[in-house]
Amino acid sequence: MIFNLYIFDRLGTCVLYAEWNRKKPANLPKDEEFQNMYGMLFSLRSFVKRLSPLDCKDGFLNYQTSKYKLHYYETPSGLKLVMNTSTDVGDIRETLRQLYGQIYVEYVVKNPLCPLDKPITSDFFKDKLETFIKALPFY
Amino acid sequence: MSRPSKPGDPRKVSTELFTLTYGALVTQLIKDYEDEQEVNKQLEKMGYNIGIRLIEDFLARSNTGRCNDFRETAETIAKVGFRMFLNIAPVVTNWSPSGDTFSLLLDPNPLTEFVELPEDKYKLNYSNILCGVIRGALEMVQLEVQAWFVSDQLKGDSSTEMRVKFIRKLEDAVPAGED
Amino acid sequence: MAVYSVFVVSRGGSLIYDIDYNVPKTDVEKTFGYPLDIVLKVFDEKLTVDFGARDGIKIGHYLLAVNGRPVQGTVFDDDRTDVREFLGQQQNYPISLKFGRIKLTVNEKIMLASMFHSLFAFGCQLSPEERSSGIQILEADTFKLHCRQTLTGIKFIVLTDPRLPYVEGLLKRLYELYSDYALKNPYYSIDMPIR
Repeated sequence: MIFNLYIFDRLGTCVLYAEWNRKKPANLPKDEEFQNMYGMLFSLRSFVKRLSPLDCKDGFLNYQTSKYKLHYYETPSGLKLVMNTSTDVGDIRETLRQLYGQIYVEYVVKNPLCPLDKPITSDFFKDKLETFIKALPFY
Repeated sequence: MSRPSKPGDPRKVSTELFTLTYGALVTQLIKDYEDEQEVNKQLEKMGYNIGIRLIEDFLARSNTGRCNDFRETAETIAKVGFRMFLNIAPVVTNWSPSGDTFSLLLDPNPLTEFVELPEDKYKLNYSNILCGVIRGALEMVQLEVQAWFVSDQLKGDSSTEMRVKFIRKLEDAVPAGED
Repeated sequence: MAVYSVFVVSRGGSLIYDIDYNVPKTDVEKTFGYPLDIVLKVFDEKLTVDFGARDGIKIGHYLLAVNGRPVQGTVFDDDRTDVREFLGQQQNYPISLKFGRIKLTVNEKIMLASMFHSLFAFGCQLSPEERSSGIQILEADTFKLHCRQTLTGIKFIVLTDPRLPYVEGLLKRLYELYSDYALKNPYYSIDMPIR
């Protein structure tokens, strides 16, 4: 089951947030939640890089708690995709990569009227995203 | 030398249309700005804006991870990047002794098919848009570089050579509150 | 052996125990001629590779030894002379340099432990579901981190090879050992580093 999805650009702006099955309402206003999430991701990345016994290639991949699993995918251009799912979902790195390549790049990057550093307002993108997510086997 | 589009494939455009479009663009810029150096600057700026978005398409379609060193970056640009977007394979040569500058030999150059540069426009770097594309794309993967043309077949030189120099690595933006 | 290290973190986030077992080595030693074509930069008071990575030497690797003499920060361990001066003199070449990842110092481990302590709390806070625990498994491409928090707030953290599944048994055993040897020892104060 997919709970929610965040996409952050390389400067830390949350350009997309979407939720599907989130039960617990956020206790914080959205801006703070995004800042907290980005800050945590940044710390996790640097934590993993320092702690790792060998040189990291991909770095931090995902973490799991008793109730959810957070999957992380970062492109070399600094775009960060974060998806929270239930704990029974396996490795979805390939799915996140497809989301990046087939949805974000196609409908946001290739649209010159879509600014890359502001929240995404394109309805076209949002529709395509919904279709993609709902078609996933673990939705 | 046009690539005929497959019937029913709306994404493929013939090279001729592309060359014509680019040519019309350069001609209009010359009419608007008149000074060749200014046109070179504008072409580079436009290339930069293309580059910062093109890199995402490149990363998505080629599935390459981070390059380990500058040599790998050069090879990836030449063999994967140029092939993916322009269907050419430039040669990487002329590495500086410190390993921070290399050249790309663009032969053939799809932008300049059928183009002949008039005598009075010798200062124009016709393909300068490519310099901007490389600069913009590499900036998005935290590499600051400078790209410029040192020779151009349009100007009568034997080859079209673009030089790319590594300036520095850009550090990730640190979010507020972190060290 | 698949287990790399074990850490125990107190309720307040301070590191009270750590041990390394089989941390894989990444040292590479090579001979270089003058002038040195690897660019070194001072980062965090240590000499690190900034440009010119090749043959197993990666960007971010630290200079560990020159001609077999260990390097501490930017000076030689034995006579405290500046390494950069030595590298700048042509008569010292050809020179053999060893690069690699630096093993974590105790201070760094303490810092990472408290970092994990807050990340663990964030894991709870940012949960989309009700009443989630903190981070139990953290996966990276080169290691896997398993964590178990007891009801008293102590965290047992194990770093292993990434292919290992959640080592619940090991964590439980660690807790049992902790409760036996540390807590039942009247001379041990809670939340203090374990000797």
